[in-house]
Amino acid sequence: MSNTRKVLWAIAGFYIGMLILLAVVFGITTHKNNAFQPQNEFKLINWVHLGVLSINRAVVYLFIAAVLTVFTMVFIAGRMQARPNRVQTAVEAIYSLMRDNITRGNMPDTMAAKWFPYVGALFLFIWYCNLIGYLPLPTNSQEKVNIFGAHIPSFALYAATANVSVPLVLALITFIAFNWEGIRTHGPIGYLKSLIPAGVSGPILFLIAPLEVISTFMRLISLTVRLFANILAGHMIILFMAGGLAVILGASWLGWFTMPFGVAIYLFELGLVATLQAFIFATLSAIYLGGAVSHH
Amino acid sequence: MLAPIFHIAAGVSAGLGIGIGGGLGAVGAGVGIGIIFGKVIESVTRQPEMRDEITSIQWLGFALTEACFFYGLVAGLLSYVLK
Repeated sequence: MSNTRKVLWAIAGFYIGMLILLAVVFGITTHKNNAFQPQNEFKLINWVHLGVLSINRAVVYLFIAAVLTVFTMVFIAGRMQARPNRVQTAVEAIYSLMRDNITRGNMPDTMAAKWFPYVGALFLFIWYCNLIGYLPLPTNSQEKVNIFGAHIPSFALYAATANVSVPLVLALITFIAFNWEGIRTHGPIGYLKSLIPAGVSGPILFLIAPLEVISTFMRLISLTVRLFANILAGHMIILFMAGGLAVILGASWLGWFTMPFGVAIYLFELGLVATLQAFIFATLSAIYLGGAVSHH
Repeated sequence: MLAPIFHIAAGVSAGLGIGIGGGLGAVGAGVGIGIIFGKVIESVTRQPEMRDEITSIQWLGFALTEACFFYGLVAGLLSYVLK
């Protein structure tokens, strides 16, 4: 047997062996545990009370994401050389993606120059927000840990975009932006007329026109829910697979069994979903902006 | 006298809501994503030099289709919360 084969058999054996050991030592019966409430993992506790501007963990994450976005990009921009190193090459690739693929691919060139800062900042901000959501930071002030005598909040995974308000605000800005561009180009009545596909006339207009207006509002809802539900569902699956299910059901063998799925989902979310959702949000914003000024 | 039956019915229907929302949503999303990646495989086989362009459209289509699953899931969760 080759070496790789032996290592794989050893890992499988260890996995199943620990599973059987835990089942034998701690029993396979499940005891319902009502002390752990999963929704508390996503609860926002106000640390500094300022009314509607109170500072909680989501505000801290938003602040960190904004500061990181601005400072990393400005830092790299200030250190550009004629012969780029790896970091500069990567940032140039991302810039080209934002400018050529996302903005210029979906809007006329004059408009692309004007809206590129918005679309680019949208992509980078959502990307950073999603990514730092997978970094464990001490933000869970409901369960404090004692490290060297200091009571600090325990480490937890939380993404600012896992709360519906953040994607909602970003989608609202995009919604107002593309409607404003459409009304500016066509005039208010002309914009409503441009929603209706070409070649439609007569009584079927009474069916098509309301549907088109509703579908424009659905763009706002779909942008919000797509980003929010992707990130929230990812975090909840990580929570349940990496031990939440075992805690709720009180079975230690279940925790060991579901742990590899938790790790796999974590890597999947970190590697693919975070970037993809930022790309999709920015691309759809650019498509809606370009579509609002286009003449059918 | 009928109150416990209403209680049980509310609990059952809340669970059913999430199950149907997530399950049917997954059906649609699975079919759609399968079609997208199947078409990508076909088209890259026919024209390998177009691979990068097609890959960028592939990710766009994948995320839009995946979103439909999340609409179903959110609808199910709404039914659970609103009972």
